[in-house]
Amino acid sequence: MDARNLLTLLVLVGSILLLALAAELLEVRLFVRIVTNLFIMLVLVLGLQVFMGNAGILSFAHVGFMGVGAYTTAVLTIPVRMKGMALPDLYPLVAGLELSPFMGILAGGLVAALVAAVVAYPLMRLSDAAAVITLFALLVVLHTIMLHWSAVTNGPRTLFGLPRATGLGLAAAAAVLAVPLALLFKESRVGLLLRSSRDDEVAAAALGARVPFLRWQAFVLAAFMAGIGGALWAHFITSFSPKAFYLKESFVILAMLVIGGPGTVTGAVAGTYIVTLAFESLRALEAWLNRAQIFAEQVVGLTEVVLALAMIGVLVLRPGGLVATREVGTWLLRRRSKKGDAP
Amino acid sequence: MLEVREVSVVFAGLRALDGVTLALEGGEILGLIGPNGSGKTTLVNAITGHVPLAGGTVRVAGETIAGLTPPRIARRGVIRSFQIVRLFEELTVRENVMIGALATGCGRTEARGRAAELLAEFGLESRAGDLGAELSYGDKRRVEIARALAARPRFLLLDEPAAGMNEEESAALLEILAALPDRRGLGLLIIDHDMALILRLCHRLHVLASGRTIAEGDVRSVRNDPAVIAAYLGTEAEADGPRG
Repeated sequence: MDARNLLTLLVLVGSILLLALAAELLEVRLFVRIVTNLFIMLVLVLGLQVFMGNAGILSFAHVGFMGVGAYTTAVLTIPVRMKGMALPDLYPLVAGLELSPFMGILAGGLVAALVAAVVAYPLMRLSDAAAVITLFALLVVLHTIMLHWSAVTNGPRTLFGLPRATGLGLAAAAAVLAVPLALLFKESRVGLLLRSSRDDEVAAAALGARVPFLRWQAFVLAAFMAGIGGALWAHFITSFSPKAFYLKESFVILAMLVIGGPGTVTGAVAGTYIVTLAFESLRALEAWLNRAQIFAEQVVGLTEVVLALAMIGVLVLRPGGLVATREVGTWLLRRRSKKGDAP
Repeated sequence: MLEVREVSVVFAGLRALDGVTLALEGGEILGLIGPNGSGKTTLVNAITGHVPLAGGTVRVAGETIAGLTPPRIARRGVIRSFQIVRLFEELTVRENVMIGALATGCGRTEARGRAAELLAEFGLESRAGDLGAELSYGDKRRVEIARALAARPRFLLLDEPAAGMNEEESAALLEILAALPDRRGLGLLIIDHDMALILRLCHRLHVLASGRTIAEGDVRSVRNDPAVIAAYLGTEAEADGPRG
């Protein structure tokens, strides 16, 4: 790893640690919850960046793999005595299993990666709109399975009983690991070749790049990170239903990446911070407006509308996002060398 | 040797190439010329697997490459550039050149070494950290050729490498290209409308018109060939520029 990447890593990991430390020291329960959730979102957004940022293909399926991770850890970690109530029709093979949440989270990532590895290869031959539509169709398939595979997911009903295992420390640790993973992948041989195919698929193939295989590798890694993120979230929230892994969640994660800049790891991290701050501020504003009864009707959907407008604004004004091409380390080093050059 | 034998390409009933045969040896520069629409780019597309063959075959060192995908053909040592420059605009110049090596199976360290060597050779060291999008057109062309060379090709097919360059840039490019076969032992096929460049650079010429070969051979005999003069060079055979 060269100096600019090391500096990027230092800045991004430093920001996570600072935030975690602030939450720990302030001891405000709401703030701790918001920061913990932010770190989980960071794992999910960085996972999406691994595929979408490097391959240049928008993936709606990402949230589906988050669901795979969440349900995998649920099946493996809900205490046996509760499984009879939470999942009465669960298969005997797993009904007696009760793994530690740590193992469950890891299994969540691995199962999501395995599902992605099996289903994705033929899809990776597609580009542009065809690829996006196909990955949206994959999300619909995953969501439908979650809705109807009652034995494993409790169907459309809320699944409960997961041990609360994701706290500030675990979420921060996962986010700290996700940053170098995304950065190393981006700078790896596969990541570099994939980025060349993002810029010009025909030229990359003409030089020898096997684009579908490169995309497949990124997609499997992204699904692993989505599975881990989903499993972390499941142990944070402890009860959920399939609707938590569909369009609304997809939109939030996409907004974080698109606003920050899908092409860089810095953009993914910055986007997660900015959108979380905006989201929580708007939610508080919405609650305040309703409490104060300023409008005759209840104010609803303010957060989603503002977020959507912000996304449109960024796409119009800065199509590559706020941090489009250069990581923070590169930017800082270039700035320093320019200052050094100045008379 | 790169052998193209009786290659035909058909687009929606239109025969874009009709039984074209040519051979390119290592260490040789072959100019592929002809009027617009004569099938020059289609022939490069056919050799590199970008369009399917309706007939004929292509071989590299005796191995058939016809029907293989472009990445497989590239990994057998046949690398091309494009008529419209296709740089990876959001990658740095160094990364662009590294891609040429990485795509053919090199590791990062080796790719970095090759990139450093080629950037020095092409006078692009000072631009190594700049993005592809930040370069001038002439520099983009040079990076594209450096990127192709990073793949260490046995045969390099350049589609109008001097297009859009000014005289100075064109002359500098000619110098680099002329040295390639000897320095790297590769076979070079060049399409260009700049006849001054073609005539000074190439050992042999192959002339296409309407998808067929109308002449081939050494530069002198081809430029005096009546069929070539009629179809491409015009009556002023001594003039530098083509009619087409």
